[in-house]
Amino acid sequence: MAGTRKLTSLAAAGVASLLLLSACGSDGDGDEGAAPAEEGGTTPLDMWVFAELHADYYEQMAESWNEENPDRPVDLNVTVYPYDDMHNKLQLAANAGEGLPCVVDIEVSKFGNFVTEDGRTPLMDLADAAEPYQDDIVQARMDLYNRAGGQYGLPTHVGAFVAFYNTEALDAAGVDYTTIETWDDFQAAGTAYNQATGKAFGVASTGVDMVEPLITAQLGGNFFDEDGNVAVNSPEVVQALEIEQDMLDAGAISTIPGGSPDSEEAFGAINRGDYAAIVYPAWYTSRFVDYMPDLAGKVAIAPAPVVEGGEVATIGGGGTGTAVTEACESKELAAEWLAYAKLSPAANVAVWEVLGFDPVNMAVWEDEEVTKNPDNKFNQYFETNLFDTLNTVKDDIGNFESFSNPNLPAVDNIFTTVTWTEIFENGVEPQEALDQAQADLENQIGE
Amino acid sequence: MAVSQRLESPPSSRTGRRPVKNVLYSQRLAPYFFIAPFVITLLAFWAVPLGRTFVMSTQEVLFGESAFVGMENYERLWRDRIFWQALFNSARYMVLTLLLLIPVPLVLAAIINSKLGSERVKNVFKSSMFVPALTSIVVAGIIFRLMFAETGTGLINQTIGLFGVDPVRWLRNDIGGLTALLTLAMWRYTGVNILYFLAGMQSIPKDYYEAASIDGAGRVQQFFKITLPNLGPTLVYVTTISIYGGLAMFLESFMLYAGNNSPNNQGLTVVGYLYRQGIEENDLGFASAVGVVLLVVIMAINLTYLAFTGTFKKEDSR
Amino acid sequence: MSAPMRTTTAVTATQASTQPRRPRPEVRSKHELPRGLFAAVQTGFLVLITLIVLAPLVAIFIATFQDGNQIIRNGLSLDIELGELSLDNYVMLFTDSGLYFRWFLNSVVLTAVQVAGTLLVSSFVAYGFAMYDFKGKNFWFITVLLLMTVPFEIMMLPLFVMVNDFGLADSYSVVVFPFLAASVTIFFFRQYFLGIPKELLEAGRVDGVTEFGIFFKIVLPIARPAIAAMAILNGMIIWNNFLWPLLVLRSAEKFTLPIGLNTLLTPHANNYELLIIGSLFSLLPVLVLFILFQRFFVAGMTAGALKG
Repeated sequence: MAGTRKLTSLAAAGVASLLLLSACGSDGDGDEGAAPAEEGGTTPLDMWVFAELHADYYEQMAESWNEENPDRPVDLNVTVYPYDDMHNKLQLAANAGEGLPCVVDIEVSKFGNFVTEDGRTPLMDLADAAEPYQDDIVQARMDLYNRAGGQYGLPTHVGAFVAFYNTEALDAAGVDYTTIETWDDFQAAGTAYNQATGKAFGVASTGVDMVEPLITAQLGGNFFDEDGNVAVNSPEVVQALEIEQDMLDAGAISTIPGGSPDSEEAFGAINRGDYAAIVYPAWYTSRFVDYMPDLAGKVAIAPAPVVEGGEVATIGGGGTGTAVTEACESKELAAEWLAYAKLSPAANVAVWEVLGFDPVNMAVWEDEEVTKNPDNKFNQYFETNLFDTLNTVKDDIGNFESFSNPNLPAVDNIFTTVTWTEIFENGVEPQEALDQAQADLENQIGE
Repeated sequence: MAVSQRLESPPSSRTGRRPVKNVLYSQRLAPYFFIAPFVITLLAFWAVPLGRTFVMSTQEVLFGESAFVGMENYERLWRDRIFWQALFNSARYMVLTLLLLIPVPLVLAAIINSKLGSERVKNVFKSSMFVPALTSIVVAGIIFRLMFAETGTGLINQTIGLFGVDPVRWLRNDIGGLTALLTLAMWRYTGVNILYFLAGMQSIPKDYYEAASIDGAGRVQQFFKITLPNLGPTLVYVTTISIYGGLAMFLESFMLYAGNNSPNNQGLTVVGYLYRQGIEENDLGFASAVGVVLLVVIMAINLTYLAFTGTFKKEDSR
Repeated sequence: MSAPMRTTTAVTATQASTQPRRPRPEVRSKHELPRGLFAAVQTGFLVLITLIVLAPLVAIFIATFQDGNQIIRNGLSLDIELGELSLDNYVMLFTDSGLYFRWFLNSVVLTAVQVAGTLLVSSFVAYGFAMYDFKGKNFWFITVLLLMTVPFEIMMLPLFVMVNDFGLADSYSVVVFPFLAASVTIFFFRQYFLGIPKELLEAGRVDGVTEFGIFFKIVLPIARPAIAAMAILNGMIIWNNFLWPLLVLRSAEKFTLPIGLNTLLTPHANNYELLIIGSLFSLLPVLVLFILFQRFFVAGMTAGALKG
């Protein structure tokens, strides 16, 4: 055995050196984006995103940056990964401390995974880079990515909730969407529509956490208490879910193929006219235009339903915080480019024109040359103008603080896998389902 | 070279030349060289990571920094409803695949092995049944996800529609999802298990059957009296791989649900939970605790198995 | 290494299907005609099952001529609307499929290299276990047996952490190295080598061949049937390998087919056509090999299922 052991240790050393050798070998041909700027040349920036549309947008913004800054051009190299994949990869790379891209899109419900409460993060503080544009930007959207005093991400859009109505289907059923103001109205209209047509009206999503934060915020509630601890069974959250469950029972909302309006199966169903009312953030415009061509000219945008006497009319929903990593060799330039690409007036116009999102620079909302442009494909698609709707609620857009809590990823995960399914699919009482979620979360987070 | 010289083996009786040569001819040293790659693999890729798992399971790991937390991860695991659900899902899947993927292929193999019927049809059948096993789980999962679509236009809903059944939202409820998973398992592994059983059956001497038919035993009797008892080792083998395969199942569910988050975690398995905690939720310490528990479960099964069959004892005596 | 657990782990020994002896010639008549109703029912039953089993593959084949988004939205079915069929997806596959063929090539090369390496290393180790008596042999061999039942997923996370510590992420070497000495393959080769007469080895020694020369020059050449069976078995496992490469490989140009295909399963990439046609095409190499070498596939897959 002694001989074996000696051999073993020798061999182990051998394998270790082999592995190192192959590592050196692979370093040579891999790893793009790590190279620093060549003298006076173009600076390569690699970027990860999780939506093809975003990639197109960033490439345009790189081009216009290069036109305006010919002395400091960037060579943007965007890779599109699927949503889960990209966030997982980013996490793995963050843990390893290497393999990180320079610039990356992080979805708001995942952002908490990348900055700890005490501010440990692989991301760079972008406050300085954002400074020149700060004044015009909706502060609440900046705050989403502000942790422990650092600005670790820049917002893409406001994502104010609005309602999209299929007017062709509603007219046929004799339902007038313009009379819908509150959730009660929405429920009444939906029930009437459902009885008249046998089809679904609104959507009860089990796979995303969208309308629930909206109603909770309208009721003045939150997913966390004042100390930032999980409180998902607080009265307002329970009430919000009860409102939804009532609507479900009344036939005003129904579950949807794919689990949320933002899935391919759902695009098919909505495009077929199986659902007549979608309450979703304003950026859903892009999904209609790109994935539901049959509904062109048949969809109207109206304010999202409110709670009577509620705290706020709407909130920003969803969101992508774009970040620069500390590991990036040209992070200063990356930050500067990113601030330009997301916060500058030109960028905010492009956010609307390319992506169809509601820009975080609200000055753009008033610029009718941009918002009413008849050549714009979004304006052509919808019966009503997005900004007409947005401007009516402009001063009443609340900030749902839960979105910036570091424990949001855990809450979001349990809601979208377990709690909403229990409530909307299995008919569990909201109080019971949310108590269970609270208990599971307390155990998981260790409070 | 350095390695062999340092070993200083005694001169071989036959050649007695340079030490390097001696080593190459030494029957005493040769086996250690032969098994060295395995020993290295074992140490580098199993023993060390295993040790690391145990260590990490008592830590909180974040962004490459770790802090000792004692048994906290295990305590959390014990109270974690979702972990137990994942364990239940894995065990349930394992038991059901055993109940489906042993009797059905066994009967089909017996049919193929019988003298009745056309050989050509049977050969085509055998080959066709094997084709799904050639399909990667990724592709099979994509196909089955789309076949079990919740709209009325998916293949499965169309098929049950022929019998007047309304469309089922398969992947949205527990039993529907389980049905899809089991159908996928049946589709992919029935052909392989048929081959195993066939190979076993064909090694049973023909005269056993001749003797039985002289005694007047019918086909069914022959199956229970001769085929089954003589298939012992094959049955043990297929059961074994089904147990481990069932408990470690992950990818089938991952592909079927297009990710690790199924409604109400109905498709979540132990390995899936390990992946979710370690990779998706960034909690390597907790995920390591999940891994340790899975290892303990597997080892418990191993030891039971060992006690029942005495497999290792037999290997010893070879 | 979880894939082998699912399909192919060997626990008991085999000789029957792969020993160097030839199978006995078939004694029975080749032209056994179906006799009676029972045979007809049986044939009908087998044909029906065959059709059911092949239906999913037919469905995905039909889908390659259709609009990918519609398939995802409506599900996969056997419906054919002649007016809707087109070859667009095939044109796209060969002109504008992004990294698809890169992934394909990666998979082919990686599979070939890893299979060759695994066969070489594993048979090398197996030879040590089969042909020599040495201290600790039982101990090490029992660990071989034990490893066959430990799912790799348990080691995955710590190994991944170590890979990162060594800075080896995104390299093929870490995809390959942990699996070169594969316990299932070692076990199978050992059983095979046990059946080789020791006199062959002695003859080699008398001729002055080194111990390693005996393995490479005398034993390996006569182990061809075992090599073929194990090549198929390992090839199928490696071709389909998913979880470990998914963790380790980061850059899209290095992806293998299963990982690459998985990245197309998203509503935000507009690439469903490639997902569907790419899935079908990823089956082709394995199918072609199966049709050519069916005999070896059967031997490889059932290797180990029989008691020796």
